[in-house]
Amino acid sequence: MARITLDSVGKRYPNGFVALEDLSLAIADKEFLVLLGPSGCGKSTTLNLIAGLEDVTAGSLYFDDVLMNVVPVHRRDVAMVFQSYALYPHKSVYENIAFGLRMRGHPRAEIEERVKHAARRLEIEPLLERRPHQLSGGQRQRVALGRALVRQPAVFLMDEPLSNLDAALRIAMRAEIKQLHHTMRTTFVYVTHDQAEALTLAERIVVMREGVIQQIGSPEEIYDRPRNTFVASFLGNPPINYLEGALAGDGAGMRFERGALRLALPPALAQPLRGQAGRPVRLGLRAEDVDERGAPRAGETLQGRVFSVLPVGSDQYLGLESEGTQLFFRVGRDVRHREGDNLALSVNTNRVQVFDSSSGASLLWR
Amino acid sequence: MRNLGRNLLLFAASALFLAYVLAPVAWLVSSSVQQESEITSRPPQWIPRQPTLENFEAIFAAEAKQVTYETRRQGDPATGGFIPSTARDLVPAMWNSLIVAVAVVVLNLVVGVPAAYAMAKIRFIGRSGSIYFMLSTRVIPDIALVVPFFLFIHKLGLLDHLGSLIITYLAITVPFTVFILVSYFESLPDELDKAARVDGCSRLQTLLRVYVPLATPSLVAVVLFTFLTSWNEFLLALMFTQTQASQTMPIVVAAFTSDFTISFSFINAAGVIAVIPPVVLAVVFERYIVSGLTAGAVKG
Repeated sequence: MARITLDSVGKRYPNGFVALEDLSLAIADKEFLVLLGPSGCGKSTTLNLIAGLEDVTAGSLYFDDVLMNVVPVHRRDVAMVFQSYALYPHKSVYENIAFGLRMRGHPRAEIEERVKHAARRLEIEPLLERRPHQLSGGQRQRVALGRALVRQPAVFLMDEPLSNLDAALRIAMRAEIKQLHHTMRTTFVYVTHDQAEALTLAERIVVMREGVIQQIGSPEEIYDRPRNTFVASFLGNPPINYLEGALAGDGAGMRFERGALRLALPPALAQPLRGQAGRPVRLGLRAEDVDERGAPRAGETLQGRVFSVLPVGSDQYLGLESEGTQLFFRVGRDVRHREGDNLALSVNTNRVQVFDSSSGASLLWR
Repeated sequence: MRNLGRNLLLFAASALFLAYVLAPVAWLVSSSVQQESEITSRPPQWIPRQPTLENFEAIFAAEAKQVTYETRRQGDPATGGFIPSTARDLVPAMWNSLIVAVAVVVLNLVVGVPAAYAMAKIRFIGRSGSIYFMLSTRVIPDIALVVPFFLFIHKLGLLDHLGSLIITYLAITVPFTVFILVSYFESLPDELDKAARVDGCSRLQTLLRVYVPLATPSLVAVVLFTFLTSWNEFLLALMFTQTQASQTMPIVVAAFTSDFTISFSFINAAGVIAVIPPVVLAVVFERYIVSGLTAGAVKG
């Protein structure tokens, strides 16, 4: 069981490239933590540092209260699942799963018992004699999971484990990994660039960019209260829409204005913006936070012209040109619009985001 | 029709190429079982009329014979009655060649495999520099290195000693060994390395338990390359060796051509024997050779 603490951790490569700068993060025991970000944001580097596959070049890394900076990887009680699965091609499935236990000198009978148990758990028992190249992608993924869970490690690290699977299998494996976390009761650190994966699996999400943490929080917090435009843009499908404009209003209420568009902000959102009338801001409007059935009301209406209709089966994406900006919304499948239609949508103003125009920092949540 | 023409052309070209490559070997083998009179007859006989193994018998009997100008006529009919004065060196030279080649192969693996793994998978300062440096040493032609090598070997007191050949052949072969293996190890995914270390392997265990078993084709390529290089090497052996104690096959066989009299059948029989070990190696490892030499393209 392990609590992981990163205290001002930095990683600088010999060629001068700085992958991580001053990263501090406390991962609770038995937590499911997801590191989320685009490629090159330092999330995999963070995972490698925790595993001990790369050296920390600044700051300290603790497991519980033990300093781990110079503890070699085979002395850390961690297991890892890789994107490419990294199964040993020359070993059978059984040997692949058993290898970690064998290297740690467990008795033969115990190894067999544990491998069999893990194989049963992952339903790969009939495959134990096969070689990795004889397995499908999903089966390889299960073997890779088996190799990690058979060790019953204190820390379970996963580096984009589902990225190489097809969409349907990915969803099934997500459920399975969540289940695994419930039964194993151990600390999981999971790296992904897939926001949907992060939102479904995580107890807490860490959003990273260029080696710097942007926001830490529960999936709801990250989605509903993004700290800046980067976090807001990274989650949501289709991505959040932005409208440049300015704040307006007086003591009683605040408005967002852009051209003919007037959106009244509800009191809860207006509160932190009080007294900033005239400030240029960027309004964030999530794709799903509009409704075209309810009767448009003043201060909640967005007018525009449809420029594209993209049905995606369960619902459809509507491209709307409004106030010189192209916006995308998700609307029900039963709504019929054609390109060129003029449209009035009612905006759920309780859920809009307000960011500083130049820095992109949220003016609502900090 | 166009396809047929194309195939015919390709066939003809291949046949021509094969003839070009194989004809000298065929002549070597054929003439090694001919009598001296038959070899020198005109037109030459590709198929021997009376195949004989007497040339080979003469080689293995030569060790016991002391040949001087006066006694060079030993009466062996196959060799035209003459054997070279250095004929008795041939069998010891075979052993010398074999010892040197095996030592060079083994030491190449011992030195080259860990070096290549480190260069391929460990990010240390000066990593790419060291690869280029190793390779750049091979840009210098061997002839330019003969004098420095000679002085070096002389100071070590290794002249006319097998050690001199082993050391200098290593200098020639290790850079290539490392280069072949680095490109192969680099083609194996880094995540395999990480997985092994997370599973509890030290660096050395990762190398021995994961990378070496996976690198068989390129290891075979290395074994063949280093064996052939040291088996065939002539120039350095000519400089450093003087007697039976260290002379290798190429030196002894070459010396047969500058004796009092020349016996072609004897030389050719010796040539056939010299060709046998490389051919055996190639046959044994045949299925690995192509994949090993094209290692960089292999998927991990």
